[in-house]
Amino acid sequence: MRTSTWRRSLGLAPIALVALALYAAFLLYPLIQSLFTSLTDRNPLKAESTFVGLANYLELFTDQRLLASLRFTIVVVVVVTLVSNAIGLLFAMLLNKPTAGFRVMRTLVFIPQVLSGVIVAFIWRSILTQNGLLNTALQNIGLIDAPISWIGTPELATLSICAVVSWMTIAFSTVVYTASLQSVPPELYEAARMDGANVLSRFRNVTFPMIAPGMTISVVLCLITTFKLYDIIAVLTGGGPADSTRSTAFYLVATAFTNNRFGYASAIAILLFVLTAVTAYGLTALLRRREARL
Amino acid sequence: MRRSTGAAVARRAGHLLVAWLVTLAFILPIYIALSSAFKSQRQILDNPLGLPAPFTFDNILTALQRPDQLVQGGLANSILVTALTVGILIPLSSAVSFWVSERGPRLKGVLLAVFALGLMVPPQTVLLPIVQLLQAIGLGHSYPGLILSNIGGGYLSFAVFVYVGFLRTVPREVIEAARVDGANDLRIWWTVVLPLVRPATATVGIFLGLWVWNDFLNPLFILGPLQGQTITTGIYVSLGGYSADYGQLFGIMFLAAIIPIVGYLVTQREFIHGLMSGASK
Repeated sequence: MRTSTWRRSLGLAPIALVALALYAAFLLYPLIQSLFTSLTDRNPLKAESTFVGLANYLELFTDQRLLASLRFTIVVVVVVTLVSNAIGLLFAMLLNKPTAGFRVMRTLVFIPQVLSGVIVAFIWRSILTQNGLLNTALQNIGLIDAPISWIGTPELATLSICAVVSWMTIAFSTVVYTASLQSVPPELYEAARMDGANVLSRFRNVTFPMIAPGMTISVVLCLITTFKLYDIIAVLTGGGPADSTRSTAFYLVATAFTNNRFGYASAIAILLFVLTAVTAYGLTALLRRREARL
Repeated sequence: MRRSTGAAVARRAGHLLVAWLVTLAFILPIYIALSSAFKSQRQILDNPLGLPAPFTFDNILTALQRPDQLVQGGLANSILVTALTVGILIPLSSAVSFWVSERGPRLKGVLLAVFALGLMVPPQTVLLPIVQLLQAIGLGHSYPGLILSNIGGGYLSFAVFVYVGFLRTVPREVIEAARVDGANDLRIWWTVVLPLVRPATATVGIFLGLWVWNDFLNPLFILGPLQGQTITTGIYVSLGGYSADYGQLFGIMFLAAIIPIVGYLVTQREFIHGLMSGASK
């Protein structure tokens, strides 16, 4: 029996092993390497690196720039996840009709998700910049006298980043919620209507429980996407003004590649990974439990 | 009765109108970008929402005539990286998925848990070790290095989850029947599994193609500036400084954006289907 299993996977097994080896080399090994490096003071400018224990992790707690980047990241993650799920669900309900016109609209709404963050950020930068299209338009119709600094002040720049990222993730959430809505059997609505349920109670008692699995997907993926956000920030604000829009992922790359502090950067890398994994796993478990209850 | 039908028609028309207004407002930035590619600088600033009349190809021509060959070079490099990454990942990931599906439940569970890591690891977390590893094996700042790290990274995890999920829906009897006929697993994978999982291959190909094409971080740091640019990093490096030449900017944007947009429109049925089957799992 053993030999026959072995013999019949002869040929396929080598291909599978190549895939596993590449995965080990380019995902598992880098992850473990980051963990080891985070316990050293490694720096390419120094000949030798020494083991420093948890010193890099202790530095995380006192590094004001890191804490500021964490605050910014959490603000963007929370705002983007809430906004894109609320608006995505509203869009999906608005566009969930079988006729051709609505199909065209659903096709159009997804386009922001197809473009790269770099292109999206360049388009929005030309709209939001000081002498950009938005300020020009607002001045032309006389709504404002002086241009507004949409990406030039810390508060407005944070708001702009949230808006642009949400614009991309709304497109994604809309499609996920549309798919969920289309999986609701129409008979359920009929039955609820016969029972005299109004629009609100139909939404609460039929739609909401039925789209719970879609909500889990949409929330968790928005979250993961926003935690690793890099390209939109790089183009739209470059982390500024005064580092106010520097996400943790952005700070990590700067620490590793600009400041060459490999050891400390690796500690940030592990922090970012743990943060993403714990939030994603935690929320998935929580939302799945809610799905079961509904 | 008559009045209620009239009210229903009015409500439907109102719904349609609101839906169109919301949709058009939402994709307004895309309209601005695409239409501005065919306007003069004056038209863009004076009337950003207007149609491109008179129509001009100057921006597109200026973008194509740049001495640094930003658009042509970038597109060629992006096509090379995307085609090779996806072209190698599809056979590799479908084979490993079939192999994993044929393991016992214990080993299969462990392997899938290990692959799940790849969906969760932020690319920034593994970027530095990957760059160092590629330098150590002599593939630093090279296309083979970028493609190899694409193949072994999180994209593989995504492909494995799509294929393994799809393979659950393939009846055992189909595989067993081929086995009784004396075919080994390599042959079954090639002649039975691959044709059966074609919808999953469409999903994997479309999504990976899009993600690799749009990727920014990996080409920026793995390739570095010496090896030329993909279209995404090329735009960033060449147009990074603030410039007020909107005409040329939008001309380049148009040429860079049109390939993913057309690709999406052509494959949108498989695209949405893939997203839906992924979302229902």
